Amino acid sequence: MSTDTETRGTLGRLRASPFLADLLTNRLAVVGLTIILSMAAVAIYARVTYDLGALASSQLGTEIADRAPPGWLGPAPANQQLFGTDAAARDIYKRSLYGAWLALKFGTITVGTSTTVGVGLGIIAAYYGDVTDNVIMRTMDVLLAFPPLLLALALVAIFPRELGLWRAVAALVLVYTPRFARVVRGAALKVLEDEYVDATVALGATDPRVLVRHILPNTLAPITVQSTLNFGLAIIDLAALSFLGFGAQAGSPSWGLMLSRGVENGLLTGEWWLSFFPGLFLAITVLGFNLLGDGMRDALDPRMRDAID
Amino acid sequence: MNWTQSLFRLVEPVVPPRFVIKRLLLLIPVLFGVASVVFAILHLAPGDPAIVIAGQRASAEQLEQIRVELGLRRPLWEQYLSFLWDAARFDFGQSYSISRGNSVRSVISDRLPITLELAIYGQAAGILLGLPLGIISAVKQDSLTDHVTRIGALTGISVPIFWSGPLLILLFSTYLDVFPTSGRIKSTLFLPDTWTLLGRELPLTGMITVDTILLGNTEAFLSAAHHLFLPAVVIGVYSTALISRMMRSSMLEVIRQDYIRTARAKGQGAKITLMKHGFRNALIPVVTVIGIQFGTLLGGAVLTETVFGINGMGLTIVDAISASDYPVVQGTVLTFALLFTLVNLFVDITYSYLDPRIQQ
Repeated sequence: MSTDTETRGTLGRLRASPFLADLLTNRLAVVGLTIILSMAAVAIYARVTYDLGALASSQLGTEIADRAPPGWLGPAPANQQLFGTDAAARDIYKRSLYGAWLALKFGTITVGTSTTVGVGLGIIAAYYGDVTDNVIMRTMDVLLAFPPLLLALALVAIFPRELGLWRAVAALVLVYTPRFARVVRGAALKVLEDEYVDATVALGATDPRVLVRHILPNTLAPITVQSTLNFGLAIIDLAALSFLGFGAQAGSPSWGLMLSRGVENGLLTGEWWLSFFPGLFLAITVLGFNLLGDGMRDALDPRMRDAID
Repeated sequence: MNWTQSLFRLVEPVVPPRFVIKRLLLLIPVLFGVASVVFAILHLAPGDPAIVIAGQRASAEQLEQIRVELGLRRPLWEQYLSFLWDAARFDFGQSYSISRGNSVRSVISDRLPITLELAIYGQAAGILLGLPLGIISAVKQDSLTDHVTRIGALTGISVPIFWSGPLLILLFSTYLDVFPTSGRIKSTLFLPDTWTLLGRELPLTGMITVDTILLGNTEAFLSAAHHLFLPAVVIGVYSTALISRMMRSSMLEVIRQDYIRTARAKGQGAKITLMKHGFRNALIPVVTVIGIQFGTLLGGAVLTETVFGINGMGLTIVDAISASDYPVVQGTVLTFALLFTLVNLFVDITYSYLDPRIQQ
């Protein structure tokens, strides 16, 4: 019986291809990765080519018509912007491209910060246990007791309006950190049960060394999946806060703010291009991260799913 | 089984009361923490409540008098304790600006049913459509149906509500003119505050589709349903997508278990095995997700209300934060957190019913 299980285990291990190979055979994950990389290219292109100041300021009073429909539609107007112009005669095409830069930049900062802080708290809670664990995790529980977007809304009120998107970032970091802390703590507790950790401690390794060299690398898999899935959420939530008026400052080419202006100015008059294009970019970007995150989850050991959901 | 035994089975609680009591007691520290966070947030917020109430042109003495009246000159710990006491009695005083002169409690009791109604329809649509879609998708894994459902669900969770909402309004209201753009009922219809049952006057629920039925007003009901349709679709699609994804992955894991094979080997039919052994076990993790997702749904309701101009809790909290109406912010945020926590408590209890091992 025991040899049977052993053989099956070894065979299973031999058959299991490495994580990356698995990921690349997953068609949906490849589509997701392609979307993200293209969007990143768009973001860098827009950042290098366009001047933010010009994109943000009103073009009313120039020869460019305001609320002009996309150029490829119907009879040619005086100016032919690919995605049309908004109520302040600004080019929606250029603004949507620049929006990719803002979304990816602030999304990365949000997810990066909450991952780092969450991982740190989670590992410390798992390793030291006891009072430390209780203080950290009960605080996280309280933050998790709020519906996410509503906690973010209440938190943005703390930060001054001048911070623009940064206050949305700060609020969302506080909202996401507990999720990471929880996932990492769970994963770290599993690692801590392994004997090699005891062995390392017995050999005289210091706490930071055990934490960083031995526990952290073994919790990376669930962290990566959680981060990828949270990236999509972060981009939506950042846009949502801007949409509700608590993020990007007036004029900023952030997708959320463009959508909110589109709803305000174009909904009843049928000027659909005001909200269609920024929303399309937003949805495609989020879809990219969700496709990749799903693929990563499938490529990982299915048993890891418990730790991630 | 004789009739006394069947009767006992009926009264015997499905979940032991001790478990429920333990869960309720565990709520206390969480709610205490939640109230403390809300207190901290509003004391860290910039802006002076006195200016919010009296306006920029008020004199220094007037402002000082308001601060004293609001208790802002008392030591912080005293303010904290009195806030906890207020929170426990659910009394947050009066609104500073968005509904000036009205108590926060009355603002919430007016607006909460509106948001709940929206969330309940959205969640119900999600459960009714999401569960079967997830099961079909799992049972027919890798078929065309599965691929369509999966990609549809993934798209459903990727499309933000504040984009799908405006697009639906543009298509169905602005262009096709088949649905109203905003509001809850035709502006020519007025509903009374009470309804009569067996000669007694009773208050209405505040949920407009329920109220119009209670009043027996068909025209008003149809108008309300007509107004609620698009917002409910927006939330429902999102919730269907989330639930079908979870149901699929959970079902996939369960149908590979040994007990499913055993049941089939014993000669049990595929459908019965699927429903009796598969569905119930696959539902366990999904129930948890439905609870957690309720929080996302409440956030979705905030965005939906903003898009469709529905004056519920969501629009209220957005207005209150913009106007620095602190008592309303406190009350609404705490209500949302309480609601979310209670839903999760209910989910925990359902979970323990589905998986009795958890009660130990």
